[in-house]
Amino acid sequence: MNFDFNLVAGYLPAIGWAALTTIGLWIVALAASIVIGLAIAVARLHGGLLVEAALRLVVEAIRGTPFLIQLFLLYFGGPFVGLTMERLPAGLLALSVFGGCYMSEVFRTGIRAVPRGHIEAAECVGLDRWQILRRILLPEMMVLVLPAGTNIAVGLIKETAVLSVIGVPELTAVISGIGSETYAFVEALTLLSLCYWALVEICARLGRLAEQRLSLYRFAA
Amino acid sequence: MTASTAIPAAQIEGLDKEFGSVRVLDRINLTIPAGRVTCLIGPSGSGKSTLLRCLAMLEEPSAGIITIGGRPLGYAMENGKRVKLTPARNREVHSQIGMVFQQFNLWPHMTALGNVSEALTTVRGMSKAQAKEIAMLKLTEVGLAHRCDYYPAQLSGGQQQRVAIARALALEPKLMLFDEPTSSLDPELTGEVLNVMRKLAEAGMSMVVVSHEIGFVASVASKVAFLDQGRILLDGTPQEVFAKPRHPRLAQFLDTYLDREAVMLA
Amino acid sequence: MSWKLFTLLVQAAGATALFSAVAVAAGIVLGLLVSGAVLSHAKPLSAAARLYVSFFRGVPLLVQLLLVYHLLPVLGLNVSSATAAIIALTLCTAAYQAENLRGAFLSVPRGLIEAAEMVGMTPWQRFVRIEAPIALRLAIPALLNEAVAILHASALISVVGVIELTKTARDLAASTLEPLPLYATAGLIYLVMNTVLVQGGRFAERRYKVRAA
Repeated sequence: MNFDFNLVAGYLPAIGWAALTTIGLWIVALAASIVIGLAIAVARLHGGLLVEAALRLVVEAIRGTPFLIQLFLLYFGGPFVGLTMERLPAGLLALSVFGGCYMSEVFRTGIRAVPRGHIEAAECVGLDRWQILRRILLPEMMVLVLPAGTNIAVGLIKETAVLSVIGVPELTAVISGIGSETYAFVEALTLLSLCYWALVEICARLGRLAEQRLSLYRFAA
Repeated sequence: MTASTAIPAAQIEGLDKEFGSVRVLDRINLTIPAGRVTCLIGPSGSGKSTLLRCLAMLEEPSAGIITIGGRPLGYAMENGKRVKLTPARNREVHSQIGMVFQQFNLWPHMTALGNVSEALTTVRGMSKAQAKEIAMLKLTEVGLAHRCDYYPAQLSGGQQQRVAIARALALEPKLMLFDEPTSSLDPELTGEVLNVMRKLAEAGMSMVVVSHEIGFVASVASKVAFLDQGRILLDGTPQEVFAKPRHPRLAQFLDTYLDREAVMLA
Repeated sequence: MSWKLFTLLVQAAGATALFSAVAVAAGIVLGLLVSGAVLSHAKPLSAAARLYVSFFRGVPLLVQLLLVYHLLPVLGLNVSSATAAIIALTLCTAAYQAENLRGAFLSVPRGLIEAAEMVGMTPWQRFVRIEAPIALRLAIPALLNEAVAILHASALISVVGVIELTKTARDLAASTLEPLPLYATAGLIYLVMNTVLVQGGRFAERRYKVRAA
């Protein structure tokens, strides 16, 4: 077997852009996931029975089916309901909704884990519902959900690869494309693997670092 | 009591045990007579459980020699030097020992029968039928034949401990070790376990028992060793050890462990 | 959505179920061995196993799939795409199960292992008769989560041309030009399989639960 990395080196600019695309996709999808997840979690908590039921259905559906199917449904099926999107925005939306549903579950568990006593104390000093949410519940919950949240964040890095199937020019699409052009599949895919491995390791480390820093604010049960 | 001239069930010579910089056992010399019950008593942290575990080869002594039935276990003196024995040499000697734990340690995914017969099939290579026969025999001896198909979670603490005793007995050991066998039991359940142990003693099994049940110790033991801070302070018959006037450390210890049966000693 | 198309999808779902089941089973077996290696005292073995786990949990499954698919022929192993896909799925899930099992092994009470030592079992016997069965039972919830993940991940093997639910849906969508009903139905079928798996897992959990004695 011929491990000729020089072959692949010439494609460095293209790989660079692809890496930026992947990281960009990941960051935006992660941010969107957190926002969507929070929104869903809070809505299910305070929105009344109908909202709870509807959102529950959506979350169960997203968590119970493969991401690839969701992606296909949006990108290929979307136009039939008036939702025509370019591949990159479609991928981003699908990823955000996917991540958002998983995040919402983590947030729901986190919200429930905040001790009731803390809420009651806040009520006693006169904070209203939204203030409690913003100033007490959510900050406390953020610390609790960090480990599970980091897991989802890392998972999202890996899910970006699936976007290659609809042709989004991220790392997997570009590097495996290089592989087909040069017939140096194994070298290209090995490089690709190493890229993701590095990204995931970095993300996991950052997560652990954040956990350590925030452990000061954790409720010592 | 005449001194036994038979080979002792176990012999401990010059045993030291360190955990890091802490010396848990210090120059222990003890003879465990055959066919008799020897009890180790003492306050927490005195090293009695560690001593028992060294006998069982669950802990490695830092110095000293242990022999079981005259044969060395773990380490041997060869040509004046303390030599570590190979697992093969240890296996034979080790198989003479059976152990009963404070936490019973029954395997939760097997029935009582399964627990007792497991080693017979897996270690001794018996057929399932053979193993079952012997296992049922042992379970009958401890009075639990009717619970043979129950899982540990369905048995009371006392029943579990009796199954554990049957499990150890199934391998026909020459020496039985008991590490605080009733300390995890509700008071009403200790009796059933102590009775099984009494029966065993009457049948002539060599036993070493670490226990806080002073009443049991006083009535069943032929030899008692009182440990404190890693040393044997007293050793002899129960009458000798518990005789008044008492060693101050022993008196202090007994004050904390008075039970119903031991009130007579107070 | 015609009945004929629906039956085709359901048939393909059978393939998905089969591939997933094989990968889950093989993955647990391999995961057991890998976690045993991770926890062993042999430094090089443990390091190699940890590297394996780190790699297969750090690289997207799609990439692993493509890598295995292209690597096998180079190594002289000319297997069908289905076989290559199952190998890739197994290698991937084994890494996750190894992590799950590692936690479970560390939770097996020390006393149970000591009792096995005392009745004379060799380390291998202790592992096979006591540690592994107990660890597996403790790990059932985590193992189940991973099985669900495999069910979803199996959709990706369509990318290397394996005929299963997603590939069939995609092919039919291309030929009928009706992606919406086809992908929606495929999604529903996945959801049904998902529910069955989760319920089955809950049943297994109850049945094999190791209750603290």
